[in-house]
Amino acid sequence: MGQYLVRMLLQVVPVMFLISIIVFVLVHVTGDPVNLMLPETATEEDREILRAALGLDQPLYQQYFVYIKNVLQGDFGNSFHYGEPALPLVLERLPATFELAAVAMLIGIVIAVPCGMISAVKRNTVLDVIISFLSVIGKAMPNFWMGIMLILLFSVSLGLFPVSGRGGVEHIVLPAFTIGIGLAAQMTRLIRSNMLEILSQDYIRTARSKGLREVLVVGRHAFRNGLIPVVTIMSLQFTSLIGGTLVTETVFAWPGLGQLLVTSVNMRDMAVVQAAVFIIALVVIVCNMLTDVVYRYLDPRIKYN
Amino acid sequence: MKNSRLITVLLLVVLVLSACSGNNGNSSANNGGNSSTNSEAGNGGSDSGRTGDQAKLVIANSADIESFDPHNNNNTYSESVIINVFEYLVKNGENQEKVPGLATEWEMVDDTTWRFKLREGVTFHNGDPFTAADVKFSFERVAKDSSLKQNSYFKHITEVKIVNDYEVEFITEYPDPILLNRLSKMGAGILPAKYIEENGIESFLKNPIGTGPYKFSSWTKDDRVVLVKNESYYGDAPQWEEVTFRMIPEAATRVSELLTGGVDIITGVPVTDIERINGGEATKIEAATIQRVLHLLMRMTEGTVTADPLVREAIELAIDKQAIIDSIAGGMGTVTRTSVTPGNFGADPGLYETSLFDADKAKQLLQDAGYTNGGPEVTLSASTVYKEIAEVVAAMLTGVGFQVNLDILEPSKFTETYNSKGFKELFILGVGNSLFDASNNYNRFLLENAAGETDYNNPEVEELLQAALSNMNPEERAKQYQQVQQHIANDRPTIYLYQMQGVYGVNKRINFAPRLDEMFILDDIKLAN
Repeated sequence: MGQYLVRMLLQVVPVMFLISIIVFVLVHVTGDPVNLMLPETATEEDREILRAALGLDQPLYQQYFVYIKNVLQGDFGNSFHYGEPALPLVLERLPATFELAAVAMLIGIVIAVPCGMISAVKRNTVLDVIISFLSVIGKAMPNFWMGIMLILLFSVSLGLFPVSGRGGVEHIVLPAFTIGIGLAAQMTRLIRSNMLEILSQDYIRTARSKGLREVLVVGRHAFRNGLIPVVTIMSLQFTSLIGGTLVTETVFAWPGLGQLLVTSVNMRDMAVVQAAVFIIALVVIVCNMLTDVVYRYLDPRIKYN
Repeated sequence: MKNSRLITVLLLVVLVLSACSGNNGNSSANNGGNSSTNSEAGNGGSDSGRTGDQAKLVIANSADIESFDPHNNNNTYSESVIINVFEYLVKNGENQEKVPGLATEWEMVDDTTWRFKLREGVTFHNGDPFTAADVKFSFERVAKDSSLKQNSYFKHITEVKIVNDYEVEFITEYPDPILLNRLSKMGAGILPAKYIEENGIESFLKNPIGTGPYKFSSWTKDDRVVLVKNESYYGDAPQWEEVTFRMIPEAATRVSELLTGGVDIITGVPVTDIERINGGEATKIEAATIQRVLHLLMRMTEGTVTADPLVREAIELAIDKQAIIDSIAGGMGTVTRTSVTPGNFGADPGLYETSLFDADKAKQLLQDAGYTNGGPEVTLSASTVYKEIAEVVAAMLTGVGFQVNLDILEPSKFTETYNSKGFKELFILGVGNSLFDASNNYNRFLLENAAGETDYNNPEVEELLQAALSNMNPEERAKQYQQVQQHIANDRPTIYLYQMQGVYGVNKRINFAPRLDEMFILDDIKLAN
């Protein structure tokens, strides 16, 4: 186990290095930030001066070496837009993003696990059809539309929740459901199909034939095995939520990482984009490692070496 | 199987119905239930900026401010917030006349020297007194640092001389007839010299202080700016304890916040929501003409199709501006053939509220220009902000025979192309005017500035513009700009689509009269009773 973790950590270094190169090149080929930073009345000379001041007149590989040297010292450079160090700007958005992603995930799981199980156990009954139908709808509704509908229903008509912004617990309910419903829909389908496959396996039949109660058959034997692929999907979903809740953030004016990333890409705010992608990549890698660990716990057949 | 299909169809119907009723229901629900909605939902969220509290005001903008550096902002919504924190020496009165701000009196000593008497007894939010040193620091900063976005408006100020603690002299490079206009626009905010020299600009930006009626409290980026009352303000006591500017990018969300009483004022109301807001028991629409005029700029570079005056005239005649206003802006806008609209120095009323539209003549002009087999091909560029307008213009141009390539760009890409003068034949640009002076409209047609953009070149206009730049005789200067307007209207390096209106949604507990300059002067916003 310890050996495994060390090996995983060693893999992180080259991955992060590769990511840093890709992001750096992508950000630099998409446009010149100088045109956006200076007023429209700036002369070509003003632009040259600013380019030189920012080091943008150097060859790309030299800029990269300066950049990576600073990054290794924890310095991602200053945001053009805010005039502040980039890393703290990114880190101060993480709590809002994690909060939203975690609550949405929780909602997804709480809905999907019972629905998926019921759907599988009561296969081809009315209940199964209803659940399957709802999950198709849930998956098909775009977040944007869903968010606005939830606002109209629960805030404007019923007055139960605040419309937007980040604040107390009541503020997170609608944005988290907007994302959570989509997640639940996807996971319900997955759990259902996994459970169906497992329920037709020999060992389930054996369990049943030895007179075990159905609750135990499903709850103990089938459920744990049915969970394995779900863990993978949950991890994948969670990591994509870290950088990818922009639509929901926009609808609910939620000041998360997605908003920052899009503003920064639009402003060609290179330092912030690089810092944000770096942090997101780090989160993804850590999540993947945790998934592996959980996976191995759930499925003892997988060995560490 | 039949059963499940039936259930599926039924569920679909239920879902669609519930979605629709959710939509219709809100207007009726909100007719009666606004105050109760407000108190119910407002209980838990003390930090959410709800409007239950009489002395608190919440305003929702569509975008976040750029920064708290008044010299390095270049957009109206940033200034509309920070104008309450940093004050100008001179302010705009109701009819754009200049009234005392931090300066109480001023006089022109000679063509390039102005003397200002400063208000005594004013303190910054940290208690430091406001003196001539702050004026010198502020203007020499914005005039000398060319990386600041407001630099171009002030760079001809060569020196600010301290006469004594409460008197300064502005020395300009050349006679500047509109110095007072510059001192009363964005970029002219007075910063605390001592505080910045001691703590550095970075620390100042984290904890900005000015002399204004409201003090900085907090800024959560992409979320909200909170200002609080300045208890020791020298003027009338500020009336709001706390003012929150929220950033809500999605228009539908802003409207919902207004309808539920979550915010008091929203900007950028979509045309489709006007009726809903006016129908709300607690909400109303306030609209007012703003300084922004939509331009359709044309490239006159030799070799481009729009270099031909007949083609440019055809373009103007092909566009039914009133139809654009009616279809896209809900009727809220004014057609014009000049961008120097009433309220601005140098306006020519003869070109206002008038429009040329004659599609048949436009077709004829294209024939005359030699386009007998299919009209000329033009590329029309616009930012996504004006996407619908660009589409309508393109359709109108196509209607008289043009072949239009529509080129819609993300705002940042648009700005980038604009700043590098990279557009082809046509592009749509919304142009404001914080100077309230015709020079702001026409400097883009000075030879130096037009080069590469429109490539407009009319020696007579150049002469008039150059003369007006430093003409200290206001009457003569106004005439020069009126002549320029006539030339531009005939030469058509640009045509004007219309003057826009600011459309705000307002809670009825508030009296708010939108301003021509789109600023939120917080103490002009009052409780209704």
